[in-house]
Amino acid sequence: MLGRTGRIVSWTIIRVPPGDFSYQAPYPVAIVKLAGGRKIIAQVVDCETEEIRFGLKVVTVVRRTSRPEVSEVIPYGIKVKPIF
Amino acid sequence: MNIYAIGSGVTKFGELWGTSPRILAKKAFAEALDDAGIPKGRVEALFVGNMLSGILGGQEHLGALFAQELGLNAPAFKIEGACASGGLALHNAVNSVLSNQYQTVAVLGVEKMTDHKPEDVATALMGAGTDVERMSGATFPGLYAILARAHMAEYRTTEEELAGVSVKNHFHASLNPKAQFTLRVTVEQVMKSTLIADPLKLLDCSPISDGAAAVIITSRKPAKKSPKVVASAVATDTLGLAERESLTELAATKKAAKKAFTLAGVSPSDIDIAEVHDCFSIAETLALEDIGFYPKGRAAGAVARGEVTLGSKGLVVNTSGGLKACGHPVGATGVKQVAELIKQLTGKSGRRQVKGAKLGLAQNVGGSGATAVIHILKI
Repeated sequence: MLGRTGRIVSWTIIRVPPGDFSYQAPYPVAIVKLAGGRKIIAQVVDCETEEIRFGLKVVTVVRRTSRPEVSEVIPYGIKVKPIF
Repeated sequence: MNIYAIGSGVTKFGELWGTSPRILAKKAFAEALDDAGIPKGRVEALFVGNMLSGILGGQEHLGALFAQELGLNAPAFKIEGACASGGLALHNAVNSVLSNQYQTVAVLGVEKMTDHKPEDVATALMGAGTDVERMSGATFPGLYAILARAHMAEYRTTEEELAGVSVKNHFHASLNPKAQFTLRVTVEQVMKSTLIADPLKLLDCSPISDGAAAVIITSRKPAKKSPKVVASAVATDTLGLAERESLTELAATKKAAKKAFTLAGVSPSDIDIAEVHDCFSIAETLALEDIGFYPKGRAAGAVARGEVTLGSKGLVVNTSGGLKACGHPVGATGVKQVAELIKQLTGKSGRRQVKGAKLGLAQNVGGSGATAVIHILKI
């Protein structure tokens, strides 16, 4: 799933997040259509929220997803970042 | 189908910090029994719609719990389908009567949400989504915001038009003493309210609520004139939003509606009143299009122009105030919708009565559209 490119087909900016994500808000979440046609939902990183638009080209990357408690495993997942 | 909806009861919806789920259930059930005019002993089974009692309250096994609480020594079942739990509970109740397993059954929808922190409720509600959606940090306002943005881009739907849904539903709720919000709002107030998940703002969103609703159905010929349940249909779609072909419609609603109209032998233009699942302003827009009341891209403008507001000659939508303003105790919502139809069809809706309403439709959605339930009632 890493290094796959695609384009943003719709998105939102989450301003009232679930508990685990409180420290990240506001953050963008987008539906991305990957080359090949499959669609995924992922957080958009490494860009300002104003830069997000329909058709923005992105690539999948691995990132920490939320901040765990000290004794917990650090969660990683797929996010996307723009290719400008 | 020879199934009659003979009684309905709805508690006040809102932040009911002093009222337990047991009390809510008792109140709704007592009102429904009284409305039906039958003794409690006539109720042969109980179907409970609820979503969050386990994750928020640590309480499962709701069938037995509420059977005991309501004093029913009867078979009892809890049905879960996210925000469509209430509609699904009614569907299962209808099936049980259709199969002749029982003649008279009660459906109870109940939810207690406001005793918990909003972040915890947001996390719990995301139980209705996929693991990937949860990992992305998405919320339900966020998922519907993604649908709203796609709809706005494809059909030039505007934020002001979407605000019209909230304005209408708050107006209807101002005539419903059971509603959580009885205050009216303006388009300007909706537009100026805090952003929750762009482009959806606070006043585009239904609230977190407590409440219960109950409906009693029977295959026995009722003593008084009662509406018949002429269609009960369910459809499902992918659990997650990303896997859907289209982001501008809910395919499950289309499928369930088509099935329901065939079962009832009626078409969208025959419907007098509808209670649709307006968890967000975009959701009512999608519902009105996907059920077939309006062509794609036309519903938001029509709602904003007042075409489905009380007093209009044709279809009137969400006389209860909808989820937006009547409130959205998730498991209770689908049952409340049908309770509202029963009240309307029997002429008991007071100031918000739609005169001469004969045919009503309820649309209840679970998650971001993974489950859709449609009921049609006729008097």
